[in-house]
Formats: sequence, C-alpha cells, structure tokens
Amino acid sequence: MAPSVLEVLKQEFQGEYTREKVFSFVKVQKEKYFDAAKLLRENGFERLLTVSAIDWLDENEFEVYFLVYNPAENVYVKVSTRIPRENPEIQSLSSIWENSAMHEREVWELFGITFEGNTMLKPLFLEGWKGPHPFLKDFDWRKYVKEFPM
Amino acid sequence: MSFYAEFRMLSEKAMTFNFPPEMPLTEVFRGRHVLDMEKCVGCGLCEKICPNLAITMVERGEADEKRSYPQVDYGKCCFCGLCEDICPREALKLSHFPFIVVLGRDALVYPPEKLAEPPKLEHPVPPKIKGITNWAISRSFWVNFFFTGCCFIEAAPWVGSGFDMERFGMLAKGSPRHSDVLLIGGYVTVKTLRRILRIYEQMPCPKYVITLGCCPVNGGTYWDSYNTINNLEKYMPVDIMIAGCPPRPEPIGLAVVLAMNAVQSGYMGKEEKVNKEEGFLEVPSVEESREEGEYSIPFGPQHPASGNFDVYFKLEGEHVKSARPNPGYLHRGFEKLMEYRTWWQNIMLVQRVCVLDGASYELSYIGAVEKLAGVEVSRRVKYLRTIQAELCRIQSHLLNLGLIGGATGFDTMVRIAWGDRERILLLLEKLTGGRIYHIYNIPGGVRRDLPSNFKDDFKKEMKYMLKQLDLYDNLCFNNPVFNGRTKELGVLPGDMAVRLDVTGPNARASGVRFDVRKASPYETYDELEFNVVTSEGSDAYSRVLCRRKEIEESLYIVENALEKIPGGKLFERNAKGGLRLSPFSPLPKGETIHCVESARGELCFHLVSNGKNTPYRAKIRGPTFDSILVAMPKVLEDEHVAEIPVIYWSLDNCPADHDR
Ligand code: SF4
Ligand code: SF4
Repeated sequence: MAPSVLEVLKQEFQGEYTREKVFSFVKVQKEKYFDAAKLLRENGFERLLTVSAIDWLDENEFEVYFLVYNPAENVYVKVSTRIPRENPEIQSLSSIWENSAMHEREVWELFGITFEGNTMLKPLFLEGWKGPHPFLKDFDWRKYVKEFPM
Repeated sequence: MSFYAEFRMLSEKAMTFNFPPEMPLTEVFRGRHVLDMEKCVGCGLCEKICPNLAITMVERGEADEKRSYPQVDYGKCCFCGLCEDICPREALKLSHFPFIVVLGRDALVYPPEKLAEPPKLEHPVPPKIKGITNWAISRSFWVNFFFTGCCFIEAAPWVGSGFDMERFGMLAKGSPRHSDVLLIGGYVTVKTLRRILRIYEQMPCPKYVITLGCCPVNGGTYWDSYNTINNLEKYMPVDIMIAGCPPRPEPIGLAVVLAMNAVQSGYMGKEEKVNKEEGFLEVPSVEESREEGEYSIPFGPQHPASGNFDVYFKLEGEHVKSARPNPGYLHRGFEKLMEYRTWWQNIMLVQRVCVLDGASYELSYIGAVEKLAGVEVSRRVKYLRTIQAELCRIQSHLLNLGLIGGATGFDTMVRIAWGDRERILLLLEKLTGGRIYHIYNIPGGVRRDLPSNFKDDFKKEMKYMLKQLDLYDNLCFNNPVFNGRTKELGVLPGDMAVRLDVTGPNARASGVRFDVRKASPYETYDELEFNVVTSEGSDAYSRVLCRRKEIEESLYIVENALEKIPGGKLFERNAKGGLRLSPFSPLPKGETIHCVESARGELCFHLVSNGKNTPYRAKIRGPTFDSILVAMPKVLEDEHVAEIPVIYWSLDNCPADHDR
C-alpha cells in the first residue's frame, strides 16, 4: 500500500512529509535521495514525471526534486533534498527510471547541477551558449537583454 | 474512399471563406485598441498591468494642461486585454479589428491620437498590370513556411480549405531553393535564427520575407527571455510584418494581397543582406560518428512535417538505426519568465507553452494558483472551464488528424480536418474572445460568461461534426491505403509507455487506461459521463483512431456540460485568510502541484510561492518531453525512413511544449 511506503519514507529516512489530496511532499537528506527513489520504484511508483530544481539563493542551496506516480494507488510523491550551491552534485536516478536521464540533462543545462552516473549531460536546448546557467536566480534576464540586445 | 463520401463532398457548399473579409468573424475577438481620450484620466494603470511593456504613457497638451495617455506598441502587445480589464474609466477598449500589417517596425507604435481613431480596413487597390513577368510572379508565389513559433498555427488555416492559399496561386514549398517568399511563423531563438539565415541565403532572388506576430519584430511576449531574438531586422531584411499574437488568418491574407500588389508594380524585395555576427550565427556542423554502411540524415527543423524541432537519424540502408532528438528551437525559458510576472499577469503567458492546446495549460496553472490562494470558484466557472478545455482538445485532435493526413500524403484529409477545425475555433472565440490564446481564466474565475446563443451554436456544430466524423471514417479509418500507411507502424508497447512516462492518447492507444480526468477529476469531470478511449493496437493507426474517438467523447462532454451548467458567480475575489484576489495581490507561502489531462497527455504545474506577488519557481511538466525526447527514438528504431513523418505525427508532438 502506498501510504505505508510514505510511512517508511517518513520514519526510515526521517523525511518531512506533507499531504494535499493525491499529492505528497517528502523532504529527505541528500544521502537518502537515491534510496528513497529506489524504495518508491519498488513499491509501484512506475512513472517518473520529472526531475527538477529550485535555486534557493538566499540560503545558498539548491533544492533537487523528483515527482513520481503510482498508477495503482493514484498517488503522486514529490521527493526533494537540499544540496549546497557550490559544485552541486547528486546521484542520478537513471538506473531506476530510464527517462530521468533526459530530465536531469535539462536541469544540468539550466541550473548547472551534475548528476553522477548520468551519461547524457550535454547541452539540450541551447547551442553555443556561453553565459551563466540561465535558471540561476542571480542571472537577471531583464538586465541581460538590455545589455546585450539581440 | 467510398462513393458516398465522394458524393457528399461534391454536393456540399465549399468550406472556403470569402476574401478579403469585411471584418473578422465575431464581435468579441480581441483586436486593436480604441482609446477614448475624453474618458482617460491618465492614471497609468494600463501601463502598470501590461506584461509586455507594450504601453507607455505619453504627454499631450499645452504646458499647464499636460495630460498623459497610453501609447501602444503593437510589436509587443499580445492582445491579452488585461489593460482593458483594469482601466477604471473604460477608456481603453479592445475592438475586434485584427488588421495590423506594416512595412517597418516603427509603424507598429500607435500614439494616443491614432488609438482614438476608429479602426477601418482599407482594401488595397490592385495596381495596373505593367509587365507580364511581374504579374506572373505575383500570382505564383512559392512560399517557404518556416514554422519557427506559435504563429504558424494561424498560417496553417491557409493550407486548409477555410482560407485556401492556392486560390491566390500560392504553393507551399519545403525547399528554399525553389521559394520566392519566406514566411517566418513567429518566435525566433538564437538557434532558430541560424537556420533562418541559412534558408534565406539559399533562396534565389528576388526574395521576399514576411514575418508573423510580434516576436520576430520586437520579442513580443518573450521580450525578456535570454534566448529571444528581439529584432530580426538586425540580421536580415524583412518586407512585411503582420502584428498579432498570433495574427488571425485574415491579416495574413491582407499581407498576401499587399505583397502581390507590390510585386505586380515591380517591387523586387529588399537588398540581400545577412549579418551573422562574425560567424556566431553560422549553423554549427554536426560531426556524427558513423560506421561503414551507415549514413545520417537530419529531419527538421524546417522540414514540412517536423515543426520547429529536429532529429538526427542514423540509417542502415533505408531503416532507422538510431534517432537523436535535437530540441531547443523554441526554448524561451517560460518557467523563469513566469518569475518576472505577477500571478495574475501569468495568465497570458501559460497557454503559450503549447499553442496547440492552450486551454489545458490555463487550467493547470489556474488550478495550482487557486489551490495556493485557497479560493473556491463557483460551479458555473468549473463548467465553463470544462467546456473550454474540451473544445480545445477537439481542435487539437483535428489539427493532428490533418497533420497525419499530410504525413501520409493524403491531402484531402488535411483540408477537411483543418477546415472543420475552423468551426471549433469559432466556438472558442465566441466563448472566450480568442481563437488560439483564449486567456479566459483568471485566479478566482473566468473573464466572460457563456454567450446567450452558445448552446444552439454548439448543437449545430456538434451535429455537423458527428457527420464529419463518419466522413473521416470513410476517408481514413476504413480506407485500405490509410490503413496500410499507419497500421503496425511505430509500435509502442504498453509497458514501455508506462516506463517511459508516455501519457495521453499515445499511451491509451497502447492499452494504458490512464486519464487524469478520471483518476483525479478536476473542474467538473466527476459530474460528467464519458469513456476513456483505449485500444490495444499500440501502433500509429491506433493512436490516430484514439484521437478521432476522443473528439466524439469530447463533443458529448460539452453537450452534457451545457445541459447541466448551473448559475453562479463568474469571479470569486475572496480567498483563504482574508486575501482578496487582484492583479497585484501576493499569494501565501507554499507549494502546490496541479495536473490535468491535456490533448497530449498529463500536464502538471508545480508552483512555489514565497509570499510575493510573483512565483518563486514555476515548473511545467508537459506531456511531450518524455513521449518525444525519450520514447520516440525507441519507437522509430528499425522503421523505414519513409514512415518517419507518419510515426512522428502519430505521437502528436508540440515542440513548444518540450522546449518551454
Ligand atoms: S492587450 Fe495586453 S499586451 Fe496588449 S497592451 Fe493591453 S495589457 Fe499590454
Ligand atoms: S486608458 Fe484607462 S487605465 Fe490607461 S491611463 Fe487611461 S484611464 Fe488609466
């Protein structure tokens, strides 16, 4: 049963946990990120919807998260973890969900976060882009388009 | 094709609209502004709300009686109507006049005096025929469509029977070397610009360039994206600009007539000139490693069947060995653009993520915002949203049927399906005021009520559409040639679909019974009866058939919704904790996810608020990212090269969605 998996996540991984109808939000330590993913996959979370990140500039941290879905139980879980903003690195989930490699590639390009074990980390959307990682909070687009009008 | 179908087509009235039109089709369409200078008090609220900085307040009058009035730049305006909504004096209004066609970007700036004049279409007067050559050229343009952005969606009707470009002697051409006119369909990124310049150089002289929409001229809605080309003229000449976001098909027709007249009077196009910024804008050459006997071919981004997206194929003989998608031509960075706009202003941005099915993006965003704000909208609003979403699904599926027709070389289907799509767009326009980008939803409600005669209009169209679906069956689904071109092609097994996160009709056609509308009903789907269409075929045929059946289901959903729709408030201002929703109000701290079933599959918005009036982070999980970038290469493996377009469109891509 899915709720029990969430119980496990909460206890074994000391995850913080909130719930809103079918969506559950779990926060875990970086060390538990991969194991939490594995546990979910083994418990019917067949689909990975996305891997993404949030730049918490003021706290000098990135939040890396993934969203998965269990079709049998109709439960979505978002698992997130915090990592430092300097040399951000985290394990790739591509050995668990095949499609995560492509999502991680996007996060790598837009935020500059490296996913260990992901062999796909090459530019995805941008071609010959030399500027900062575009989704970083300290890259001000409005200033940039004024300075370098294209 | 059965004899019956053929007979019906010959005996019925032509689908093509008359041209030039006196006026667009409905009164509610959002077109050019009209300013009442008497009423305007110069408060500047319109300038403040405009998400695109299209409005600037300018001063008028003598020294001590100076007053300011809005001036609108149509190189930026996206016709969202937020300025109209906020104007306290009803001084600034949107008329339904769509014709803004100019020869230079300066003419797009409308000062208050010009805005005050009632809009009027001046029909171009054809010049005297001077030379037979010029006349002949002007009557036989070969047009290279480069569907760079969303505006292509309004150029597409010109291929369908509604507008029918061929009556002007125009022919759509894939090859630049055989084209006279380059039609740039909207938004341009750096990556796209490289390809545009290459295409432009390959065209023979005289060559003419027409741009659609605000984006190529002035960046449009995406003016503050790091990836936007804000002024195409810096890099190459442009002859005619059609403003709009996207422009309607009618102004495109006007531009065509203007171009024909100019060429007939001897206009030879602007001088050829290309600025590649010292090689920075050269198309990079791709070094693909190849083994003996293999060769690689690119598909897109300007292939007639690709959309603005490309894939490198490695072939062995005539079969696909591997496929490597190369997305990003439409990457605007929507998620970060949203961080610069207020929760309210973002209502005009979100549907642009996928031009093919904007309504679902509105619903997904608005649903998430309303969860964050803690506002409960009336049931009438929910019904209206359901109706909007389903009509939008129908037109999206019809577009796909046309594309499949194109990919299978079955031109009749393109023309009929896209001609029928016009009728659904008309319904959407009557309901929302927009054909493509409805901008119908606001946090707490919708912007207008159901028009009085909408139920009857819908009934008429439903009757017609059901008849047409029969025709589609006769033309396509029971047609052995169409069967031969789509069956057992591009097989996507059900377990693979789940594993690779493919959803929507693509997964349902592989037997995966998942539909967000049933699994976690939103709006009023729990009160409406409908079937989840599935099939076990797993091939291109089943995917297309699945969409055809969903059109039928959607028609019944709308019919049912129109019967059941209760009364109720259109806008609920009061949210949780005494919060009153307004265009500038902040939302409480928190995060939320809201998923809906879009025409292409599951679509979720993840919104994070840190208590400000703009999102801290918005993440859009669109349906095509996995179905195209991850699953498609696998589906295409070992297929014959000639089947690529069919399989590709059977997966129903929207490049704008995965690039965001
Ligand atoms: S319609 Fe929208 S984009 Fe155009 S001027 Fe008004 S607020 Fe700005
Ligand atoms: S048009 Fe309306 S909103 Fe704009 S300045 Fe005048 S009164 Fe204010």
